[in-house]
This record gives sequence, structure tokens and C-alpha cells, in this order.
Amino acid sequence: MTTGSEVATVAFPGPASALVTLPVAADRHGIARVLTLERLVRDSMVDVRATIPAFNRLLVEGSPATWEPDEVEKTLRAAAAACLRGKPPVPAEGDSVVLPVCYDRELGPDLESWAAGAGLSVEEAVGLHCGRTYTVLATGFAPGFAYLGDVDERIAAPRRPSPRRRVAAGSVGIADRRTGVYPADSPGGWQLIGRVPSALFADAAERTARFTPGARVAFRQIGPKEFAAACR
Amino acid sequence: MPVKPHGVVDNPGPLCTVQDLGRQRGRRAGLTPGGAMDQRACLWANRMLGNDPAAPVLEITLGGFALRFLAETVFALAGADCAAKLDGRETGSWRAIRARPGQLLRLGYSSSGMRAYLALPGGLEAPRAFGSASAVLRDELPGWLGNALRPGEELRWRDPDRRTRLRQVPASLVPPVAKLVALPLITAFEWLDFSAVDRERVFQAEWTLDAASDRIASRLAGPALTSGPRELDSVPFVDGTVQVTGDGTTLVFMRDRPTIGGYPKLGSVDPLALDALAQARPGARIRFTRADPERVRRALVQRESFFGIRRTESGAGAGSSRS
Repeated sequence: MTTGSEVATVAFPGPASALVTLPVAADRHGIARVLTLERLVRDSMVDVRATIPAFNRLLVEGSPATWEPDEVEKTLRAAAAACLRGKPPVPAEGDSVVLPVCYDRELGPDLESWAAGAGLSVEEAVGLHCGRTYTVLATGFAPGFAYLGDVDERIAAPRRPSPRRRVAAGSVGIADRRTGVYPADSPGGWQLIGRVPSALFADAAERTARFTPGARVAFRQIGPKEFAAACR
Repeated sequence: MPVKPHGVVDNPGPLCTVQDLGRQRGRRAGLTPGGAMDQRACLWANRMLGNDPAAPVLEITLGGFALRFLAETVFALAGADCAAKLDGRETGSWRAIRARPGQLLRLGYSSSGMRAYLALPGGLEAPRAFGSASAVLRDELPGWLGNALRPGEELRWRDPDRRTRLRQVPASLVPPVAKLVALPLITAFEWLDFSAVDRERVFQAEWTLDAASDRIASRLAGPALTSGPRELDSVPFVDGTVQVTGDGTTLVFMRDRPTIGGYPKLGSVDPLALDALAQARPGARIRFTRADPERVRRALVQRESFFGIRRTESGAGAGSSRS
């Protein structure tokens, strides 16, 4: 719940754009509020060219010709206040994408140290990772990379002190209370605990359409045989 | 039945891609906006032919490009001057030119400026994704949003038979290639979290454009600004966002930028100033100046109305086509 003293901040990072930061945690409840704000903004403002939700923020871009900063600020403050009232909206229970993950130390080099760091067996840690449905809190870094939250706090883990130069496509990582799947080979600093068959990530268009803020994602454990079969 | 090609790439040069004004759709899902690096030159090239301002053009990086025409047509060149020749005769730039079938258009290497734009009547035929034909060559998008042009590639354009007058851009409106690029900066994001000393430095320092700059970002060599905060959640970017990475390097994000980022940011530069930055050569001198956001906004309105740009979420488009 929020208290009356916590109000949203509205800033203007560009000539016809506004960045709203809600005084809420950057978790699944936070993004639910931000998505409510996004709907209110789209219903109340003219000439909105883009809205980009990420964690506890919403970027609103308008048309330079009709952008009036004072008016925009008033509208956004009212919308932010409205979306902060009441209980947090329940994250949408829509269809979730279920991604098969092979939790294996060959495919997820940090698997064992991650579980040990949590004081759990690998089996217990994996059970907690695939035991809940996550919400996309933000999309970015690379097209189709979704920051998923919130990881059970028992298995939250810090970023690696230095990033790896190359993380294989499909790698499943954990950083703090977030988890995500690297859509393509890239450098990366998250702890790697398993891998999704990369064929599932080959279709960039589908990936882009699927993993948008608010979307629901779950993981299902598969064995090395099933992983190998899916990669063929 | 496939239409006979109107031209064939004889030599793409170091890098030649199809570009338009970029894509809005998909940005919410993390897709880069992309689009012509020097939008002003791209807009002028299309305008000379009476094209839709968002018609796809060729972006020719550094020159070294050659195209064989297979149909009688007009074409327009703008941007970096690459001493273009049609069958050996100099064509000039910032103007429309007529070509006959069999003629070879050859661009030399640009002596100043980085990117030339070649527009064709009606715009190039090119596959569109998320409302735009702009090619994005970032590693994580192999081939999905287009590729660099290859030798022998066949090109078609929408309206090869259109006969327009051979217009040219008045010399007074041709932007000079600046040796010193001024970047008006709208301070925002984590600006106030940098030390007063660093904030002062931003406007006092003279920066130089690093050779490692590309379509994603212009890297500026200059003072290392290390006083910014660490460990931020990623924040949505606007066009021209200026970010300082962990080692203090300052980046001005260009067209193939990410949509969000977690390093501290100084603000954003006037989006219209990105055109000049896109033409600056490595080693060019750069200064940040203080921007008045309201003036920047008015200049954007003027740009959009002058060129008839109507951006919507389904892509950049135009009112009516002129011819």
C-alpha cells in the first residue's frame, strides 16, 4: 500500500516526452500499477505516439505539435494519483508462456554455486525457480529480453562480479529477484542456472510480440535428453 | 510474377542498407527505432522526387557504392558528397538526376561526411516489419530486420516511370559538414546525481568523436564522468539519450539504440542535432550546449510540418505524396 506522502515524479527527458516514476517497488505489483497508468494515459491524452513501461516507470511520448508541458504534467499527475489509489491491481492472470528449461551444470555453469549460496540442494532451488509464474517487468537490453519478477527471495542471487564475455542464447539467468532468458549470444552478468532450447527463441518477431511488459512467463524443468531433442 | 528489377547493385561499398524514418511499433517490446542516421538528408532525398517522406531509401556509408540502372528512371542524392558519377560524368549531390537503362552510378569515397542517401521514385521496394523497412544489423537480430546490401542484389522501386522535374536543394539549405558539432543537451534523468564538477565539465569540455562510433551510439572521447550513481534499474530512453557507462565513457545514442538502459544518463540531445552528428567523422570536435526544451520542440514541429511527416504508432508516414 502507498501512503499519501508518496507521490509520483514527472520529468521531461526530451522535447515531447515525459517520464513518470511511481513511488512503488520495481516488482510485479509495481508493473501492474504502471500498466494501469499506461491505460489511463492512453484514455486521457491525445496524440500519444508511444508508451514504454519499465519496472516502476512509464515513458510517454507525444506529438511535438500538441505537446504542452504544463497540461501534460497535470494530466499525468492525476493519472498517477488515480493508479496509486487502492490496492495494487492483481497482475493479469492471462495465458502464460511456458518455457522448458534444462537445469544442468553444463548448460548453467552457476547452477551449483547458486543453490549452495542459497543453502539449498540443486533440486530444491530449481523447484523454487520453476514453482511460480513470473511477470515481465520490462523488455529491453536486447529485443525479446524480458526482465521477469519476482524470484522467490530464498533463491535471489547477486550479479556476477564481472560479466561473462559470451552467454549462449537460451541461457536462463538470475540477478537479484529477477530472472530472464538471453535471447541471443551476448555478454552478460547474470548467474546462469540452465538453458531453454534456443530453437524456441529463433523467431525474433514472435519473441518480440510475446515478451511485452505485463506478459506472464513460467518455466518447466526438462532433462538433458529432451533438451537435446528440442535442439535438433 | 516478379517485376523485372530496376537496378542491380554493382558494389555496395563498406555498408549499404535500406532505411526510412524508423519504427515506433515494437519499441514497447524492446525493438530499436532504427531508421536513417541523417534524417534530414533522407527527407530531402525523398522530397526532391516527390516521395512520401517515409519512403525507403539507400543509406550508403562512406561511399564506394555502385549501382547499374536497368530501367529509365530518376533518382536523387543527398547527404555526404561522394563525387558521384553516372557513366563517368559527375552528377553532383543534393539534386535529382535522370538515368538511362545500362548506366552505372558510381560513388567515390566521401571526403567529408559519413553517409549518402539515394532515393528512387516512389521509394525502394523492401520488406517491412513493425511498420518500417529500416534494416537493423545488431548482432541479436541476424537477418530478421534486413541485411546489408550485397553485390548483385536486384533492386525495385515503386514508381520507376514517374517523371519528375530534376529538382535540387537550394545551396543555402544544404547543411555544411561541421568540424565542430554543437549538441544542445536537455539535462534530465540522473543529471542531478552527477557531481557539480562533472556537470560543469559537460559544458566546458571539448569532446572528440571516437572511431568506435556506429549506428547504435556515438562514443565521445573526453573527460571521464565517474560521479554518477551505480546499479540503477533500466529506464526507458528517448531519442538522443546521453549515457555514461561504468568506466566514465560518454555515449550519445543514435538510431539503432536500445529502448532502455541502466547506466546513469545526463539527458538527451536535440533530436535534430543527431543529423549533424551522424555525418561527423571520427576525430570531429563536439561540444554540449544548454538546450531550451521548448525551442527544441518548436524546431521539431517545424521539421515535421515542412517535410509533411506524420508519425503514428504504426510507423512514420505522410499526408499526401507530392510529385
